[in-house]
Amino acid sequence: MSRRPPRGEYIETDTGNKVARKATLVGTQNIMLGGKTVIQPEVMIRGDLVRSVQSSSSASSSTGAPANNTAVSIGRYCFLSRGCCLRPSGRLYKGAFTYMPLRMGDHVFVGAGSVVQAASIGNHVHIGAKVVVGELAIIKDYVRVLDGSVIAPNMVIPSFSIVAGQPARVIGEVPEGGHEDFELREMYKTVGNNVNPAPS
Amino acid sequence: MAPLTPYTYFQCPCSDPSTQARPGDATGADEVEDDERTFDPRAPRSNYSLYPLEYLLFCEDCQQIRCPRCVAEEIVTFYCPCCLFEVPSSNIKSEGNRCTRSCFQCPICVGPLSVASHESQSDPNLLPAPDNAAPPPHAGSFILTCSYCHWSSTEVDIKFDKANGIHAQLAKIRNGGATRLTAKERKERRKDLLHAGSASAAAAVAPRPEETPVDGQDLDLETQFSNLKFFYQSQLIDATSGNSGLTSLSDLGFSSPTSLSRIMNIYTGGSLHDKKSKSRVGTMREALDSDEGLKLADLDESGAIEKLQEEGYDGTISTKQRLSQPPHLGELHLHGNSRFTSQLRPIPYLLRTKRAKRCPLCRHIISKPEAKVATTRFRIRLVAGNYVPSISIRPLNMPSASSPALSPPQDTLQPLKPVQFLLTFKNPIFEPVKITLATPARTPGRFASKVTVLCPQFEIDANTDVWDEALMKDGDKDNRKRRKASADENGQYQAEAGKIWERGRNWVSIVVEVVPASLRLDTLAITSPAAAEGEAIDTGPIREDEDVLEIPMFVRVEWEADTAGDDIGSALNKEKDGKEKRELAYWCVLGLGRVGQP
Repeated sequence: MSRRPPRGEYIETDTGNKVARKATLVGTQNIMLGGKTVIQPEVMIRGDLVRSVQSSSSASSSTGAPANNTAVSIGRYCFLSRGCCLRPSGRLYKGAFTYMPLRMGDHVFVGAGSVVQAASIGNHVHIGAKVVVGELAIIKDYVRVLDGSVIAPNMVIPSFSIVAGQPARVIGEVPEGGHEDFELREMYKTVGNNVNPAPS
Repeated sequence: MAPLTPYTYFQCPCSDPSTQARPGDATGADEVEDDERTFDPRAPRSNYSLYPLEYLLFCEDCQQIRCPRCVAEEIVTFYCPCCLFEVPSSNIKSEGNRCTRSCFQCPICVGPLSVASHESQSDPNLLPAPDNAAPPPHAGSFILTCSYCHWSSTEVDIKFDKANGIHAQLAKIRNGGATRLTAKERKERRKDLLHAGSASAAAAVAPRPEETPVDGQDLDLETQFSNLKFFYQSQLIDATSGNSGLTSLSDLGFSSPTSLSRIMNIYTGGSLHDKKSKSRVGTMREALDSDEGLKLADLDESGAIEKLQEEGYDGTISTKQRLSQPPHLGELHLHGNSRFTSQLRPIPYLLRTKRAKRCPLCRHIISKPEAKVATTRFRIRLVAGNYVPSISIRPLNMPSASSPALSPPQDTLQPLKPVQFLLTFKNPIFEPVKITLATPARTPGRFASKVTVLCPQFEIDANTDVWDEALMKDGDKDNRKRRKASADENGQYQAEAGKIWERGRNWVSIVVEVVPASLRLDTLAITSPAAAEGEAIDTGPIREDEDVLEIPMFVRVEWEADTAGDDIGSALNKEKDGKEKRELAYWCVLGLGRVGQP
């Protein structure tokens, strides 16, 4: 991580990402940020868990060309709260273990202390605090995951679901009027070096 | 107790008795009644009419709020929540409301089940050939596993030959691996029985009664039902062909043709009803053997008791698990209703729907999602948040610490200490609105808190473009962004009656002062307003959530809209062209917080 003269709590990139200095990003070359994304302190993103087997025909060879090495891709206006962890999940693919990339859409909020191992997360998703999103789960758009839920591995959560429980189940529907609550533009503005002068 | 975050609920007019009685009336006519009747947020009925703003819709033609309870829903699409495939409605009729692909839920924990290949135990003994281990997955080599609780279908001895079409495969397998008849096979078997039966009928009738119970053991629920149905149908046919003319008294009771055909109508979907049923009289016999659907109840529970002793309480299923089981799947018969976890079957996912919503009065569509499963867009989405001013609440922090009595408490409200709250009204429409508020001076309920709205009447500017404000002249800006700081010369802010606290582009904040009631039961006799009127006082213990301070508030919104304006529908009073007056009035409930208990 580069050190820059203004010692704020966050590093602000050209595309508007605000990455906390105290966040742990492993394998940064495999992490894609869409812009305007906030990464709070103590967040961990495991970019090193990159796909080892390319989807080629030969099952045993793991020498595939580095065509797409993105391990974690994050859209715009995402908000990763303090202490959460994004970790690509792995599975056996044609006899060999490989990690699958974690794709995250726009306006995704991940609460404090949550662990996300999903395969894909849609747009406008709110994941509460202390949530575990199991391996290869798929969360579609406009989903609200309440605090403390544990989403079972391989689970698919359709759009407009409110999910809670251990294991998580769909407990309700996001009402028509609640779509705007998923917008994270305002929240993006509340965090940063100028707004929030380092309460650490 | 968890601190309560302030909330605002809005009342839908559908539960209002005055609007129910005369739905065509304009709101103005009801105004007089509404003024006199105070809405009680604690009334049992209120539970069903109060919603957060985002749950409410708005009918432009009726100019009214509509809640999830009163709208009429229409299903746009059925889809499986797991594989997200759309299911045509014709399939729903024929296949039922569950996903018929390979989507299953774990019967133990409702987690999703995934298909996994299963290495059977006999494999290593047979031939340990590593080179062709992968290719031939045959005969029960796939299972369903739950990766959350590690349940797998091997626990109920279900294995699959193929990795796809699990639903069809499962329909043929009973728990334990035995085959199960499908509806088609059952029909064919019946045909065979008929042919065989007619030949050997005479010989078989006499020795039957003793043998049938044993025979009936393998009769599963669906076969029994179809046998019974067939038997009764044939009975009915016999009855119509037979003579008629007995007394109508025999038409009652279970074994009469009319009541029988009526019952069968209920259970088999109504195709059996015919007009001649009245003329059919006479009693009919009941089913006598298993071919006719007779199934003797197996009252011997010793097996279940033994199993219970073996497995203990953990081996039994919970009510939730039992309820989530699809009906009539894999059950041998009614009396052996699955009671042990070892009898549970994988649950095919229940389908989910996308639904359009209509106004209950004018039948206009007020919400309609796109039909495709993958899209999240809406064709029509008239949410109340775009028409009704939102209300947000926060405790008013006095900038100066000069008045400690007014300092807001951390988690609970102190009884009998005045607290001020800031209500911020945000105007979503493109016209300036005039708002009139009314609250009862004392909140309804046993513990009456005193409420004062310092500024019950104010105007909010229109929800103009953000750019308008940015481009506005500085003078205008100051004029609009005035802060109500009347006692500024003293260096402190003071909420003042009749004046708004703060104002922004399309929002206004006002102050509400509350004196929370004391929750002491011994002083209730003195403080309660009912006591003053000489009524009996309920001095029972504090009920659930009775310590939450809830204020009913009547909000009346008035604005002038263009008649030609298309964003807001038809008119209430259309005498003037160009501009017309509109108004909307509703009750809402402000939940401010919990009152500290003594």
